[in-house]
Amino acid sequence: MIDAVLVAGTVLCAVRAIRATQLLSSALWLAGVSALASILLYRLGAPQIAVIELSVGAGLVTVLFVFAISIAGDDGLTEREFLPNWLALGLIALFAGLLGWMILPLEETGVAAAEATFESVLWSDRALDVLVQIVLIFSGVLCLVTLLKERHTSAQQQALAGREERERPSAAVSGNGHHPQAAVPDPSPAEVEEIHA
Amino acid sequence: MADVLIILTMGLPWLGALAVWLTGDRRPQLQHRLAVGFALAAALAALLLIGSTSSAVELRIAVGGAFGDFTFVPDGLGVFLAAVATVVGSLAVIFSVDYMHGEAQLGRYYTLVLLFIGAMAGLALSGSLLLLFIFWEITALCSYALISFYNDDPKAVAGGIKALIITQVGGVGMLAGALVAYAYLGDYQISTLLSRHQELPSGVLSVLAFGFLAAAAAKSAQVPFHTWLPGAMEAPSPVSALIHAATMVNAGVYLLARFYPAFEGVSGWTTAVIVVGLVSALLAALMALFATDLKAALAYSTISQLGYMVYAVGVGAVFASQFHLLSHAVFKALLFLSAGAVIHAVGTRDMRQMGGLGRQMPFNRAVFIVGALALAGLPVLNGFWSKELILEHGLHDGPAWAYGGMLAGAGLTALYTFRMVWMVFFGKSRRRDHVHDAGPMMRVATGALAVGTATTWLLVGAFGDLLEDSLPFHGLHVEPARALLEEIVTAPATLVALLVVALGLLAWWFRDRLAWIGEAVPQVGQAAAADFGFNWLNRQIVDGTARTAEALRTTQTGYLNWNVLGIVAGFVVVLVVLAVG
Amino acid sequence: MSALNWVTLGVLGLLGAGLYGLLITRNLIKVVIALQILVKGALLALVAAGQASGQINLGQSLAVTVIVADTVVAVVGLALAVQVKRLVGTLDVKALSNLRG
Repeated sequence: MIDAVLVAGTVLCAVRAIRATQLLSSALWLAGVSALASILLYRLGAPQIAVIELSVGAGLVTVLFVFAISIAGDDGLTEREFLPNWLALGLIALFAGLLGWMILPLEETGVAAAEATFESVLWSDRALDVLVQIVLIFSGVLCLVTLLKERHTSAQQQALAGREERERPSAAVSGNGHHPQAAVPDPSPAEVEEIHA
Repeated sequence: MADVLIILTMGLPWLGALAVWLTGDRRPQLQHRLAVGFALAAALAALLLIGSTSSAVELRIAVGGAFGDFTFVPDGLGVFLAAVATVVGSLAVIFSVDYMHGEAQLGRYYTLVLLFIGAMAGLALSGSLLLLFIFWEITALCSYALISFYNDDPKAVAGGIKALIITQVGGVGMLAGALVAYAYLGDYQISTLLSRHQELPSGVLSVLAFGFLAAAAAKSAQVPFHTWLPGAMEAPSPVSALIHAATMVNAGVYLLARFYPAFEGVSGWTTAVIVVGLVSALLAALMALFATDLKAALAYSTISQLGYMVYAVGVGAVFASQFHLLSHAVFKALLFLSAGAVIHAVGTRDMRQMGGLGRQMPFNRAVFIVGALALAGLPVLNGFWSKELILEHGLHDGPAWAYGGMLAGAGLTALYTFRMVWMVFFGKSRRRDHVHDAGPMMRVATGALAVGTATTWLLVGAFGDLLEDSLPFHGLHVEPARALLEEIVTAPATLVALLVVALGLLAWWFRDRLAWIGEAVPQVGQAAAADFGFNWLNRQIVDGTARTAEALRTTQTGYLNWNVLGIVAGFVVVLVVLAVG
Repeated sequence: MSALNWVTLGVLGLLGAGLYGLLITRNLIKVVIALQILVKGALLALVAAGQASGQINLGQSLAVTVIVADTVVAVVGLALAVQVKRLVGTLDVKALSNLRG
């Protein structure tokens, strides 16, 4: 029963995150999805992943979102959407319904008697995955460094071109832009530690 | 011991590539020395590896469950090809010291060449299909980058891209084959495929066989994929000698020979291989006869000779094909390197602007003629023995029509070879200025290869034993050296072949009196000069692809929502198909 | 119904919500949020599949990879969004389609 409540809460949070008009509340609903999903993971018997998901997904990523939204500002796009709402909803309902109809109800095959521990599976059987993860984190950091370097020069150009063009958003960037953005590349090493811990 | 040597054979060139790259272009002398040193060390390691040939897995690298183990097997086929790659590679690097003297971006050049040598050795030694594919693609990449080495020349860039795309088409065939094998056998090991190929359904096995044939034809520049090789001649000459004559183009023949035991029984496969080899040998020989570019003529002759090897695999003469591969690697590398010396001296590749160069380049003329005689298949040089061996097997085991075609090809080979030698080194001189002979490092390389051309056939016995002992699935029975050589000398097929070669020679001698043939059927010459329409076919395919892409461009709106709509709709279609079916 | 089936329903809901978001949203940051929701669904599905087949630790190992990839996507996506805002002046994905030629 408690599972049903948790699942309902997760999906509700997800829908609210999508339908929210303000970006900031959208990000907070996303944190809710993450937190509830990590409880579900724990109840499924995956405590390690639950911890990682809670700290990375609900903690770190939310912080990132809040920073990014505070820098980029909320556009409040209210123009007509590309697809009519009923078509999108219908398509999604068709998709989820078909998928559910095909896979549900699941039969539990029961727990295998002897499975290797999480650590040994991760470090020996999936060694290549860990390698790829390291490469991925590395390339992510490289990507960030490049992006932020570009931003720096373009900010300088804008400063040279004239300050009067934009008042609020660019002021927010030049005012506190360095601080939050300097924090952006940091999470990746921290995240490595969290995963390996 | 063997595992260390395997690592050295592959690792030394790659280490050298890194070292040359890190040295930087400001110290060209050091770059030359490092490249030569590492290439020679790798060649030494490969030659030592011949001593520890075996059919067992000597080096195993575990990379997790999904990919199987990466294994290296130093069996006869592999060790021999690795030795050819590293030895010819080191000679090409030595030749480059003179040839590339004073060129810009030496670091890029040597790095790519050494990377190629290491990858080629890895390709030959790998015992896993997936690893084979990876090395296969690395060699294609190096080939592309070296063809386009002079990247401010649009022709070089176009040639490189053409080579890359065509070999990729073949590479896809190989990847498909590897995946199919994995899907049915659950293992990427080559030995598994060779020992358990009966377990595959016959349709699947033929997909595998023809996929590999496509890969081999693309890599070995066989009809209809051959059009990239003449375009690849924009590369520096040592690269042409190494990659486009002695090693990489042999990878296709190697592949066919390696998997011959598994595909032998697939209906129509051996016939297809014979036809591919025959058509390539004949058409390319005709094209070589009409080519005016020295390197293009050599490239067509490479296609033609590779056709002989493919044909040999088709008739089941795996040993003969590998023996000709060895001979061809040596004498064609020699021809390309001495042609490179000529081009370096004269500054053009057009044979019509050469002529009478023999007097000014006596050494180079001597070694070129040695290579040319081997190519034409005249006695005691290595090309003679291996070509006769192929023709003899073709007579005994293959269909008569194919044998007739190959025999005619031998005559054409002699004809175009003499034409080439004559146009470059003899006849009236068309130049006033003095032309210098090959430099000292060039002489070292070409001299060593000329000695090899005259002597490698003596290795026939040892080479036969090597293959016989270490290839458990091929079931080769190679006679001892003396019996084999005696057989070649006394067989009537040899006499017939020599007669045809002599006819080719005579045809060149009396070319003025035979000119009426050329005038009577001018279409042949025109068609050969126009590559028999294959380039037109290429162009049509490229244009068709470009037109299709242009037509499909309207679907790419650049709107995210539109793309996601496509994804979700595709999802729904898949689900409906699954639910209904 | 067992916990596994509830979680599977939840996976369907999360996938549906994420795809719906991608279908209708035009805000670049909202796109990243929708991607996050999609990935949460995939994460739950992986662990649930591990549970159902009795290989929970294999499922967890794969989930680690998903989390890493997902976080890198979020970080790079947000950095891109900030960058787009700076250079184009809006977060509207429609404004980014001017590469059409």
